[in-house]
Amino acid sequence: MSAVGIRLGGISKQFAHRVKGLVYAVRDVSLAVQPGELLTLLGPSGCGKTTTLRMIAGFERPDAGRVWIGEQDVTDLMANQRNIGFVFQNYALFPHLTIFENVAYGLRVKRMTEAEIGRAVEEVLRLVGLKGYDRQFPNQLSGGEQQRVALARAIVIRPRVLLFDEPLSNLDAKLRVHMRREIQQLQKQLSITAVYVTHDQEEAMAISDRIVVMHQGVIAQEGTAEELYRHPASEFVAQFIGRTNLLTATIVGSENGRTAVEVAGHRMYLSTPLGVKPTGTVRLVLRPEVIELKAADAAGGLPGTVAARMFLGEKIEYHVRVGEQLIQVTSYNPQQTHAINAAVSLHLPPDGIPFLPGSAS
Amino acid sequence: MTDTRTPQRTLRRFLRDPALTATVTLLWALLGLFVLFPLAWLLLRTFTEGGSFTLANLAAILKDPSNRQAFWNSLWLATLVGAAGTALGFLFAFSAVRANLPPRWVTVLDAACLLPLISPPFTTAIAMIFSFGPRGLITYQLLGLKGFTVYGLGSTLFSETLTFFPIAYLTLKPILSGIDPNVEDMAFSLGSSRWHVFRTVTLPLAVPGLANAFLLLFAASLADFATPLILAGNSFPVLPTQAYLQITGLFDLKGGAVLSFVLLVPAMAVYLLQRYWVGRKSYVTITGKAGAQTAVKSVAPWARYPLLALCLLVSAGILYFYVLLFYASVIKALGANHAWTLAHYRIIFTEGMKAIQDTLIIAVAGMPLGGLFGIVVGYLVAKKPFPGRQAMEIVSMINYSLPGTIVGIAYLMAFNDPPIVLTGTALIIVACFVFRYSPTGIRATVATLQQIDPSIEEASQSLGAGTVTTFRRITLPLILPAFFAGLGVVFIRSMTAISATIFLVSINWTLITVRILENMTELSLGPAAAFSVLVVVLVFIVVALIGMALRRFRSTDAVAVTSILGG
Repeated sequence: MSAVGIRLGGISKQFAHRVKGLVYAVRDVSLAVQPGELLTLLGPSGCGKTTTLRMIAGFERPDAGRVWIGEQDVTDLMANQRNIGFVFQNYALFPHLTIFENVAYGLRVKRMTEAEIGRAVEEVLRLVGLKGYDRQFPNQLSGGEQQRVALARAIVIRPRVLLFDEPLSNLDAKLRVHMRREIQQLQKQLSITAVYVTHDQEEAMAISDRIVVMHQGVIAQEGTAEELYRHPASEFVAQFIGRTNLLTATIVGSENGRTAVEVAGHRMYLSTPLGVKPTGTVRLVLRPEVIELKAADAAGGLPGTVAARMFLGEKIEYHVRVGEQLIQVTSYNPQQTHAINAAVSLHLPPDGIPFLPGSAS
Repeated sequence: MTDTRTPQRTLRRFLRDPALTATVTLLWALLGLFVLFPLAWLLLRTFTEGGSFTLANLAAILKDPSNRQAFWNSLWLATLVGAAGTALGFLFAFSAVRANLPPRWVTVLDAACLLPLISPPFTTAIAMIFSFGPRGLITYQLLGLKGFTVYGLGSTLFSETLTFFPIAYLTLKPILSGIDPNVEDMAFSLGSSRWHVFRTVTLPLAVPGLANAFLLLFAASLADFATPLILAGNSFPVLPTQAYLQITGLFDLKGGAVLSFVLLVPAMAVYLLQRYWVGRKSYVTITGKAGAQTAVKSVAPWARYPLLALCLLVSAGILYFYVLLFYASVIKALGANHAWTLAHYRIIFTEGMKAIQDTLIIAVAGMPLGGLFGIVVGYLVAKKPFPGRQAMEIVSMINYSLPGTIVGIAYLMAFNDPPIVLTGTALIIVACFVFRYSPTGIRATVATLQQIDPSIEEASQSLGAGTVTTFRRITLPLILPAFFAGLGVVFIRSMTAISATIFLVSINWTLITVRILENMTELSLGPAAAFSVLVVVLVFIVVALIGMALRRFRSTDAVAVTSILGG
């Protein structure tokens, strides 16, 4: 069976809020998931990512818009008619059934023969590394094992698409990293289209082919992890994906098709000649690792004072006060370290800094 | 995410699901026929005459001084039973959970409270007659008193208190055990004595529970029919017995209906007060955050024993009544001839066999129906958004919360004439039990379902299962414990209840409880005792079987016997 895509055409969902009345959980969201792709919906809680996923699954019906799986419009189908695999945050295993019966459940619904069921369950349990667990009950398993059962149960029915709703957030940090690799491998091995919901940006970056960042019910930006990190389209995305400093810079002119800006008297060039007006301000997206920290007497830097310093092994993190603002700086393998309250100078790369349109001021 | 749907959306979703639509329609038809229709009929007969509204019927009944007396007597008795039962229940609950008693003594107290709960409601009353009646074991045999009258307020109060105080015990026990010992420790640390802490901390925290227990006992006493019928005598009429006599003695169906309406008013008031005011108040909060481990120090070590002694005294009294009941069933005649005999059992298994068979047939028929009705309604109310679901929840509770006398008279009147004639059939008795006692199953189902995460059903749906399959394969097994609880209550009450069904028995179909009452009035005390023993034994067997079934189905937190009997 070859993988199919998913298409959302302007879907919206409203909920009645106790205080605010009817509010949009999801508003006019359109996107396309390519066949075989693992796409992540990423965003803070309440951004509409889970509601979007549940509309793809058929647990919620969109108030407006259509949902397609492959070439089929599934908007009016119930979840049990969509042939999907869904992995829940809390696993949602059937507590009264053995592991075997949990996994066999979807096959029994399809009225497969006992022999077929036995073969399929055995194979999928082996695939997720739970061979020999078939007679156990869910409450006898650890969290990670339960999540594998949930995964096995979802894939054994050979669904057209796999949907994950924060599947790892109940696991501890180490297991989370391990499991996300397994999920990714399994998804590629089965070459099945998958939509994955998480609020953890690191998890999203590690697992996804492509990420859709959602904010307040709409799509803030979509792209690969690298695109989102290197070229954020808004301050929200810049701050949600990785850590960032936002600095206001004044445009002072243009040279050789590049825009010259100044921060506290320090001149820099922005390489992307966008339609920036020759005057006004822009917001620089400065990742903590691109800033270099030098002693105060080094020439050509922004002067600042070390406000906080955290030694984290392979790196040191500084909070440096520059004027009114605290700037985060991450320094790997530093030649020189700086004590708290030390006067320092910050050195920014001369060009290639991503920027956003200036704020209202 | 808050899942509040707009009415239109609920309606649309409801109509898209044919299984749901059909079930809801069927349930409403049943509730309409067996709950709303009889009650409407009762009100109609009370307030209309020749098709127009009138208060004349009510006025006529209230003009009779003995009826007015019965009204005040009922309220007075209920108040006293409420107070005495709550006090006794508090004593038991406090001793059980805050006095550091050895666990096996707590088991003894639990067992002593279980007995009255699962017996026919007039078992204690019968034992009272055996002890203090004209030929009573204590008054006549032991003390040689002649002309001592057992009948009246005093013995009715005593008997009802012993019968109903376990309700207070079950209500207060979780509340008292929920009071964090750290709160008491805090008061100790501020220099309070134990007595002072009890008065200023423990007791005030238990006040909502006490009020709740009082109202529950008040309602139980108000509705109690059998005890006053046996013990109250002519000098102390109460409303349920008055209504009964109006119908069976004077053949005045309308008068009985009006009297039962008079009973309805205070019963409804207490129910609403209990459910919407007191029932929701609680100071005891469960945070899931355990305070520092500390021992309960509510009671000084020396004070444990007087408390325990008091409780054991009451327990011994209860046990004495049951032993006496058994004794009376195996001797020729209590107070006259104490020779051993099985004659009474021979009588109940020959002459009384029909009552036994009828009761068992009705109980066994009503059990699965009531259990099924309980889980289906409970499931829909807890899980499925459909128009009018709150109304369904309320309507399904009506027959349960009304005094049995009202339900019985309403059924009698509603199903006596066309269009629907059920008088004299087993169906009318079965229906009465099903709609009166399935609410325990409904509540147990709702409570169980609220603990099941919705995603479990969604998981089933995502694996291709429709509503019906999901219910059958996933939800049903998970609510099986509640099903057994509901099943058990319907069976137990079918064996023991009388207040409603006494109006519904006939030549064709009769019940053990009714036969016991007849035996009591004919003064054939031996067979009455034998019947009572049989009922207690049968109920015990069923409770034990249900307990086994619950354990078998891996129900972790068995919807314990307490919830079976809470109704």
